[in-house]
Amino acid sequence: MSAISIRNLSKTYPVSFRRLRAFFRRPVKDPVEALRDVSFEVETGEIFGLIGRNGAGKTTLTKIVATLVQPTTGSVSVNGHDSVEQDELVRREIGLSTAEERSFYWRLTAEQNLMFFARLHGLSDSRAKQRIKDLFAKLELDEVAKRRFGELSTGNKQRLAVARAMLPSPPVLLLDEPTRSLDPLAAARMREMIRSFSGEDPPVTVLLTSHNLAEVETLCARVAIISRGSIRALDTPKNLRALTSDSEMVHITAAGTNGTFKTSFTRQHNDDRLDEVIKDLQSQGARIIDVETERATLLDVLERYEATDEHG
Amino acid sequence: MNSLRLLPRRIFAFVARDFRLFVSYRMQFFLRIILILAVVTTLFFISKIFAGFTDPQFSQWRDPLASWLTGLAVLNYFMTGFSSLANSIRQEQMQGTLESVLLTPINLPTVIVSSSAWDFLETTFFSFLYLFFGRVFFGVEYQGSFFLAVVFLLLTTVVLACLGILSASFAMVFKRGDPFGIFLGAGSALFSGVFFPTQLLKTYAGPNLGNISLILPTTHGLQGIRQVLIEGHGLAEVTQPLFILLGFLVVLLPFSLWVFGRAVRRAKREGSLIQY
Repeated sequence: MSAISIRNLSKTYPVSFRRLRAFFRRPVKDPVEALRDVSFEVETGEIFGLIGRNGAGKTTLTKIVATLVQPTTGSVSVNGHDSVEQDELVRREIGLSTAEERSFYWRLTAEQNLMFFARLHGLSDSRAKQRIKDLFAKLELDEVAKRRFGELSTGNKQRLAVARAMLPSPPVLLLDEPTRSLDPLAAARMREMIRSFSGEDPPVTVLLTSHNLAEVETLCARVAIISRGSIRALDTPKNLRALTSDSEMVHITAAGTNGTFKTSFTRQHNDDRLDEVIKDLQSQGARIIDVETERATLLDVLERYEATDEHG
Repeated sequence: MNSLRLLPRRIFAFVARDFRLFVSYRMQFFLRIILILAVVTTLFFISKIFAGFTDPQFSQWRDPLASWLTGLAVLNYFMTGFSSLANSIRQEQMQGTLESVLLTPINLPTVIVSSSAWDFLETTFFSFLYLFFGRVFFGVEYQGSFFLAVVFLLLTTVVLACLGILSASFAMVFKRGDPFGIFLGAGSALFSGVFFPTQLLKTYAGPNLGNISLILPTTHGLQGIRQVLIEGHGLAEVTQPLFILLGFLVVLLPFSLWVFGRAVRRAKREGSLIQY
């Protein structure tokens, strides 16, 4: 059974009191189609990436999985529970972390905030205290535990949001830009922690949305590209890159009798061209100093789909 | 079943949260106590103007200070019953915390009941202060069964909470401009007999306007409480307001829950749960 199963999901935000507005001859906006026939599955323990531009439908999709928004058609199930019919059971299975600062109580301390949410999850006070202590240690929040949320740095607020998502030890985590406001060191530690989720017992499934494509590429087993409400591609990062181009540019820096020089050429993945060029250079007495390859990135893939959408 | 088992724990979570938020604004707490004392003192002096002039037909108004204090204390409570449900939703929406609360395995009715729990505790304290200051500083005497008075208080509060649920439904869909709030907020003080006998409305404003008081649950709740606390009536003598309140409850409770369910579904469909 998949941890998250999304089938033919569509969401159109209706316009409130459309008929009433029309009756009074007020301007009526068109309904907004946020998602169109989205289907995919996320396996247990998988780190699944969702990338797309702002307004592509990532947030709507995450909110539907989190039961905060109802789909227009189609269905979402989390560990076999339907997000509409069994929303309370779904919420027992998930933890959502967003970069939204306003989702905490600013006059309560970091610890008091988490204690409140732990109680709502039904954790006993002793268990909640221990869990909060562990999470603060894991996310390096010990020093700010007694500080009011409003006094925390943006990075610490971000980490507290992740701690809150992990509070009830949910089997499924929905992480929306978990490293957005973190410094490079903290971001690397966060990525390491996310990577470790799949090795936990039982393994934790992660649906990761991020604008940091390198991060998605590093962490995710599979990535879905969403554009204008539709999934345009879904595969491993490697295969997605190959969709755009199966060739790469190679830059070689070498030292010859007349000094240092550079040469560049294009080759297909796994062909013999690089060996041939290096042998050729060495046979001419050149010494290889550096070899750089320039492959297509997820950004190239994303740009390609955006360009296709824009130009029809 | 699980939700029901966890309800006390969740109510405690909200009460603990709101208590911590409350004590983070200590000044407001002390100022409010001073304000209540000032109001009670002012009403004491105004009541002296009417000493010996009260029309004997208004038996609940022989001591106007006692009537005003019960009126204010009870109105305070009633208004909490009515408004705290909608306010709790609106406040969470405006703070941006509603979504994070709703991400926990908790349903919206539980959120509403739990998040208004602190309001009731706070109001119980401040309403009690009206009666306490009246008794301690100005010698106001209360009689009758306090238990029966509490029954009236709770029943009227639950009836008003049903209207509060309708108001919360309105806040959920329209966000602002709640007609129930305007009707009950402005109407109760004027038409329920908080500051003067409702019979005077009929005498001076005519029967049409005077009869408005009859459709307000607060009128019957106040009447019952005053009959018990001021006139010393027992259960047999207060059956009329009691049955009227029960009638309100039987009609309003299922209706308000039905409307609320529809409002939540609509907000989830429109994705407007956290908008305000």
